[in-house]
Amino acid sequence: MSVLGIAKGMGVTLSHLFKKPVTVQYPEEKVDVQARFRGRHHLLRHPDTGLEKCIGCSLCAAACPAYAIYVEAAENDPDDPTSAGERYASIYEINMLRCIFCGFCEEACPTGAIVLGHEFELADFRYENFVYGKDDMLVGVKGSKWQRREAERAGRDVELGLAPSHRPELEGVDY
Amino acid sequence: MKIHVNDVPLDVAPGTSVIDAVFAAGYDVPYFCSQEYMSPIGACRMCLARVGAPRKDRATGEWILDEATGDAKIFWFPNPMATCTTQVMEGMVVDTLSKEVKRAQNGMVEFTLVNHPLDCPTCDKGGACELQDRAYEYGTGESRFVFDKRHQEKHHALSEAITLDRERCIHCKRCVRYFEEVPGDEVLDFIERGGHTYIGTLEDGLPSPFSGNITDICPVGALLDSTSRFRGRNWEYHHTDTTSLDDPSGAALRIDARTGRIERIKAGLNDEVNKTWIDDGTRFGHEYADHADRITLPMVRKDGRLEPVAWSEAMRVVRDKLGGVDGTKVGVAIRADATLEEGVAAQALAAHLGTGRLDHAPRPAASVLPGGAPATLRDVATSDGLLVLGDPTHEAAIVDLRIKDALKGVPPADLLPHGVPIADLRLTERMPRKTEILTVVAPYRTDLMKHAGRTVTPPAGGEGALLRALLALAHARTEAQGASDPGKAADAALAGWDDAVGMSAADAAALLDALAAAEAPVLIWGGFVSADPDADAAARALATAVGAKTLILGPMANAAGLERIGVLPSHERYAYDPASSEVRAWILGDLDPAQDPTVAKRFADLDALIVHAAFENATTALADVVLPAVTGYEKEGSTLNAEGRLLPVRAAPVEAGAATDFTGVVKAYGEAAGERLEGRSVRSARRVLKKRLDVDLAELPDDGRLLPPAPAAARGARALPARRAATGSALVVPSLVRIEHLDRNPTLLREHGGPTLRMHPSDAHAHGLTRGEVVTVPVGGIPRRLVVAPDDGVPEGTWLVPTLPDQPVGLHPLDLDALRRERGETAEVA
Ligand code: SF4
Ligand code: SF4
Ligand code: SF4
Ligand code: FES
Repeated sequence: MSVLGIAKGMGVTLSHLFKKPVTVQYPEEKVDVQARFRGRHHLLRHPDTGLEKCIGCSLCAAACPAYAIYVEAAENDPDDPTSAGERYASIYEINMLRCIFCGFCEEACPTGAIVLGHEFELADFRYENFVYGKDDMLVGVKGSKWQRREAERAGRDVELGLAPSHRPELEGVDY
Repeated sequence: MKIHVNDVPLDVAPGTSVIDAVFAAGYDVPYFCSQEYMSPIGACRMCLARVGAPRKDRATGEWILDEATGDAKIFWFPNPMATCTTQVMEGMVVDTLSKEVKRAQNGMVEFTLVNHPLDCPTCDKGGACELQDRAYEYGTGESRFVFDKRHQEKHHALSEAITLDRERCIHCKRCVRYFEEVPGDEVLDFIERGGHTYIGTLEDGLPSPFSGNITDICPVGALLDSTSRFRGRNWEYHHTDTTSLDDPSGAALRIDARTGRIERIKAGLNDEVNKTWIDDGTRFGHEYADHADRITLPMVRKDGRLEPVAWSEAMRVVRDKLGGVDGTKVGVAIRADATLEEGVAAQALAAHLGTGRLDHAPRPAASVLPGGAPATLRDVATSDGLLVLGDPTHEAAIVDLRIKDALKGVPPADLLPHGVPIADLRLTERMPRKTEILTVVAPYRTDLMKHAGRTVTPPAGGEGALLRALLALAHARTEAQGASDPGKAADAALAGWDDAVGMSAADAAALLDALAAAEAPVLIWGGFVSADPDADAAARALATAVGAKTLILGPMANAAGLERIGVLPSHERYAYDPASSEVRAWILGDLDPAQDPTVAKRFADLDALIVHAAFENATTALADVVLPAVTGYEKEGSTLNAEGRLLPVRAAPVEAGAATDFTGVVKAYGEAAGERLEGRSVRSARRVLKKRLDVDLAELPDDGRLLPPAPAAARGARALPARRAATGSALVVPSLVRIEHLDRNPTLLREHGGPTLRMHPSDAHAHGLTRGEVVTVPVGGIPRRLVVAPDDGVPEGTWLVPTLPDQPVGLHPLDLDALRRERGETAEVA
């Protein structure tokens, strides 16, 4: 091994000493999220009418390779509809422990109702707290179940540890 | 006939349709309008193929030859042909693979989709949709249609149980044809023309007891079962192929369940029994099984209240309670729709307790096993002389449809390699029906009478007198044939005839002539005859006299089977009688005799009352121990239908807690008593039945197996001394809808209305009763809540009440003085 070789290697090390570090001081610092990052799902609404986009078709559940999604549908009350059309999801659940965040559900959805967002802080203590229902995923709900519990306990707003980027599919989602 | 389908040479029977030939050859053509068991009409034009045939020279009668090859020359039809309405010809060549055919199929798919909405994600047919599949297999995959599609009504309630989406209809006409061709109730038709065509009815709802079958045959999601509306997607359902325990016809069912609930019931295919049809009571009457008030845990009475306990504890209580009772004073009774395996379990339990008071209920006064020559449903469908006593539409609905098959005079088609022919060219729309071969005898106007050439209305309970008169006439006429002057002797035989039996002498003679002339006469009778041992004996004798096969419709699904394996009292004195004062303890399976206040009073001082039930009722309210029972949808076992066919019953995955069938009761009891009883499981019961019936029930094929009639000797040993026929002015009549479950079947209740009290309008008038009024009236001791429905098809002085398992078909006393009007309450009457 020549001296030159060692010098070359040390040179690489040395050059990195002066670069900006990649490490983020999470949670003090927010994490940058790429536009196409796949985190916790959001159930979207039509921005103009406020009606849910999900029609309870269960295609996401059929596409899910991890069997993480359970959907039960019901008929809309024509006078007070939940979604556009005849049918809506009366139960919509994703088991976040089973989910492998592959995004197949999003691809399968004919209405663009389910979109994988940027939230990733899903840790929790009990199994049942990983089953997310409509109330946990409808657009407007911010944070994981644990984050929302903590925020409520402390009497403050949910604070996410991420710096989102723009993704047009996440219509109406505001981090 | 020798033909070629693509490269496959085939030998098919003359008269076969080309579409069946194509399927028999293992090829596929898409189709929408053809449907098994119905006429092919060539409406959808989807089944196109290129068809050609050789021709004979008119002059020489020789095949015209192809000069190049020397073979017979094929003359192709100038356009693609609808294969469903084309018959095979000698030497025919069919091409389903060429580009030209593909182009035609593409075009037809595109044309069908022009006005079809993009509803698949929300459509209940999605995933099991013929249009979806064919569009995927035979379509181009892209749309050229950029205009606005036809808009029509999206969720039109055709009836309470069927939702119609008019935009999705592709005008195949299956549903319209079905009503005319199968049940013969023309209640649906096309309205308007061209692109505006839609199906509709001028009736209020769909007044046919077989309306639900159109939801099975509609190739698209236009006609859907409302009980399962939006309940699940087709790939999410767990399918269970089983046999209906709703009535003794033994229809094949497919139960679709999801997340521990039954979401819908569809008809199964059994070519020998129900073909692909079931009645509405069976199809829509499943909601009760998922009702929230199911009993899911055993309960034991502590300090006057029923407390949930574990099976083992409940059984310790049962054992201790029964330990204190003389074994011969214990009664065991199970409902007549229990499986054969449950029957064995009940027998083992009774034997263990040392009691001969074992029975199934309801059990009519006379046997429901045909002696002599039993008729199968195929015999019914191919008969040319049918005498029906009773109301088969309501007793065993499939028998009604098989009778209507016989009227068409087209025997069942032979099965092809791919199963039932898709297009049976012998069937046509609006076929003439040979109504003259059918005689219906019932004390009131029944549905089947509309289709009968001859109807006879004897007084209620008068079947015996009528049958005896007919029998006497038949004998007299046989004797007259041997007399020196046959004509005069025959007239003499008629002279003593009394029209009061319900028909005139001339009619009776004509009926006997028709039966005598028939090559394959069949006599069918149900509960009205079986309720009266004399009528039953006369019916059997008449069948023998005219050489007819017999079909007896028992009161519930497995009545024949339970009688056959001997779930019977050791002596008729010990027959099931909940009011008996000799019995000190009862073990009851799915029965509710305490609806009768006198029985309830008796039950109050029993030493032990153990009830196996799925729902709380008047009897569980008095019980010491209540054991959770499964419904007929959740049982594993076998049943014997009216024609003597053993059929498999399979369990659908329904969430029912700790509920079991009767074998489970016997197993738990055996464990508590420290004994391994026979029939402690379905498997152990089947071992017993294998010895007795010489059939391995675990191996039953889906379409069942005919059980040879019991040897006469064995029957003799089991023959029961006849009980007496009952009397009274209420005629309890069979009901296609199970009244005991109606309260928990909301869709069926809306569709059918509540249980009715039917009487002649003049009787209604005389008692100041108005249509739709709700009354409570004691019938045979049981207070019945009924909706008043005056009906001029009911003879004066007779009041019709639908049956309950605890109130068998036949005459019962009616206490009109105690009739109470439920003030202000009214209900719709269908
Ligand atoms: S999220 Fe989309 S795919 Fe899933 S049920 Fe709703 S509409 Fe269907
Ligand atoms: S009928 Fe078939 S093709 Fe039409 S919307 Fe329903 S699933 Fe789709
Ligand atoms: S409703 Fe269904 S079965 Fe009836 S014509 Fe339309 S597509 Fe055919
Ligand atoms: S035209 Fe419809 S199946 Fe042949």
